[in-house]
Amino acid sequence: MAETPFKISIPQALLDRLQQKLALTTLPNELEGSGWDYGVPLADVKRLVARWMDGYDWRHHEAQLNQLPQFTRPIPVDGHGTLDIHYIHQKSEVEGAIPLLFVHGWPGIFLEGSRIVPLLTAKSDDHPSFHVVVLSLPGFGFSEGAKKPGFNIAQYAEIGNKLMLALGYDEYITQGGDWGLAVTRKIAQLYGGKHSKAWHTNMVFGDPPADFDPSTLTSEKQAALARTEGLMKKGMGYRHQQSTKPQTLAYAMTDSPVGLLAWIYEKLVAWTDRYNWTDDEVLTWISIFYFSREGPVGSFRIYYEAMGNETVPMQAFREAPAPEIPLGLSHFPGDLVVVPKSWSRMMGNVVFDSEVHEAGGHFPAYEQPEALAGDLRKMFGKGGPAYGVVPKKLGYRN
Amino acid sequence: MTENPFIVSVSDDELNLLQQKLAIANLPDELDDVNWAYGAPLTDIRRLVARWREGFDWRTQEARLNAEMPQFTRDLEVEGFGSLNVHYVHKKSDQEGAIPLLFVHGWPGSFIEARKILPMLTKPPLDQQSFHVVAVSLPGYGFSEAPKKKGFSISQFAEVCHKVMLALGYNEYVTQGGDWGGLITRKMAAMYGGKHIKAWHTNFPVVRPPEFSLNPITLFTSLSMLPALFYLFLFSPTERIALQRTLTVQRTGMAYFQIQATKPQTLGYALADSPVGLLAWIYEKLVAWSDGYKWEDDEVLTWISIYIFSRAGPAASLRIYYEASASGRLLPAIWEWDQLPRIPMGVSYFPGEMLLLPRSWIRRTGNVVFERVHDAGGHFAAHEVPELLVGDVRKMFRAVWGVQY
Repeated sequence: MAETPFKISIPQALLDRLQQKLALTTLPNELEGSGWDYGVPLADVKRLVARWMDGYDWRHHEAQLNQLPQFTRPIPVDGHGTLDIHYIHQKSEVEGAIPLLFVHGWPGIFLEGSRIVPLLTAKSDDHPSFHVVVLSLPGFGFSEGAKKPGFNIAQYAEIGNKLMLALGYDEYITQGGDWGLAVTRKIAQLYGGKHSKAWHTNMVFGDPPADFDPSTLTSEKQAALARTEGLMKKGMGYRHQQSTKPQTLAYAMTDSPVGLLAWIYEKLVAWTDRYNWTDDEVLTWISIFYFSREGPVGSFRIYYEAMGNETVPMQAFREAPAPEIPLGLSHFPGDLVVVPKSWSRMMGNVVFDSEVHEAGGHFPAYEQPEALAGDLRKMFGKGGPAYGVVPKKLGYRN
Repeated sequence: MTENPFIVSVSDDELNLLQQKLAIANLPDELDDVNWAYGAPLTDIRRLVARWREGFDWRTQEARLNAEMPQFTRDLEVEGFGSLNVHYVHKKSDQEGAIPLLFVHGWPGSFIEARKILPMLTKPPLDQQSFHVVAVSLPGYGFSEAPKKKGFSISQFAEVCHKVMLALGYNEYVTQGGDWGGLITRKMAAMYGGKHIKAWHTNFPVVRPPEFSLNPITLFTSLSMLPALFYLFLFSPTERIALQRTLTVQRTGMAYFQIQATKPQTLGYALADSPVGLLAWIYEKLVAWSDGYKWEDDEVLTWISIYIFSRAGPAASLRIYYEASASGRLLPAIWEWDQLPRIPMGVSYFPGEMLLLPRSWIRRTGNVVFERVHDAGGHFAAHEVPELLVGDVRKMFRAVWGVQY
């Protein structure tokens, strides 16, 4: 089916409507000294809204985004008709580069994968090169979303696999975190061996061994576990809402730019590690959600479909059987869940375990692109544990 | 500290701003044929927004509220929080022997939940018990000021409500409450019971089951792990149906609680800024928690308007969830044995309630002298089935008022 080059071009009427809404913004007050405890601080929101109204130039950032090679193509999904899928596709000059599919999560977007594209496609004698495809999950960015219930992880995986095949990549590898982990894991389960040859994730988790004694952990590791516990206790309301009543939430998030800003910004800050977001970066990220093809609600539904009827917590991320194809793990200190490396071996056939990086959180492709690209190069490069996993695509010039 | 008469009088500016926002409202789409499964349906919200823009007349509603409910405000000192200006309804009965009754609402309720029961309580048939009624707007709701500092929790809400009664000259009184009103009046019964509060009645009987916490999955699994035998023989058929409903609500209908209890400010930006967003957020619960009640569009819009035009804005109303849950467990203190109220307790069970626990459990939480199980009505009993609630309240308080316990 035909691929169409794509350029983001938000109609002026939508930009005007956004400004009209911002001009009517009603802000709540805030309790004294509440900091981040009750949610996003008022000072941050005030500052961001002011910038959004005066100073932030969407057209400038739109033009920058359009420097990324974007496309759309219709992809059929069993039982759900055909969806128009948006993606970035950048081939390397190296003909034998390794095809790689990058899958974001929530509140991620295609922009999240954009920084590793030039790093991974770059040619070098010292490291492998990749052809990179950055998928916009259905319902996110400029991809169409499902119209009926039941569009679950298997359907997202089907889209990812079919996209790679349509681009001529019969065999490929994947990289993903957050929902990207669930989707690439499903790709590995359904299409592993035949199409997907190896998978890599930066969202690492695992269970403690049966005889686990917390006092044996270093104080650093104990602190990391405590931080995770805190995030799970106090930071999962969004997930519960999106997986049970996404439509109810959607009215507020579709209608209120400042409401959407706060909802997503809270996670952009809480889930990154010493990353200095500029206001314009935040506003570009939020604007993509705001102007997305399906609106914010398109991005909530994956929670409902994949988590709304869980019988086991995080079922979509860990249900048996674990995929057999080789798995690589990158460990970043600021992610939501940080566990000792030995615990995470249960995620699959782990052939690559990165060092624990200096910095980086839940969006390392965006926060620490060099580190993540470096791990992929180590995993798939000469002498690496997954070298040659895609036949005839070794990643180097001959 | 003096009392000032109060009438609801929303400014033209506020009404115009609301209409401006509605005129440029963006609505999401919806999946095919999902009805209520994913949340409030688009057809309902579309229809309500259209009515709000054209047809719904706030000034008429406002005038009716003012005519039906005599309102006042007064400043009250709250320990550690300074002075708060508190809004309340106060209507005395003409009849002899009227009992002073405090009515306390919850979320997403307000003082207007008392509007139907007010005439019934203050002007009953001559052979029925009459009441002087006070319906407080909790701080952060309706036209009461909200606290400015952190930590304003159940004890503080209890203190405010109690001080209103004392200020009105009601040294001895009874209480009726559901939702947060049920938990606040429970606390009041423990703090002021005996000396001031003579008896209390709730339509929201709750108890901490084995592993109640902010994680509904824990409740779900702990309740569902009750041995089947225990389940079958110790609970009546209606209780079994009720437990199933409770488990379903816990599994699919408690996200609002979790987000409001952990990140009320984050959510607050959306609810303060978008009338449509707030409408859907609250309307979902008005329908889910009531028992087949035929909400009229203007009723719903009046209800939501109270939140939009509230003195402190909608975001302030969420904070009670955070403050009461800050330790990660819901209100630990009120379940402790030495905090259980001793004064006579009355319970009305309504089948549409969102949390329906076995009566044997509830009896352990207080000195239950009155129980009534109804076959109609839900979470908003005073609004949905006022005659049933009032019937219970009349019967219970007539029997216990004046009796020394």
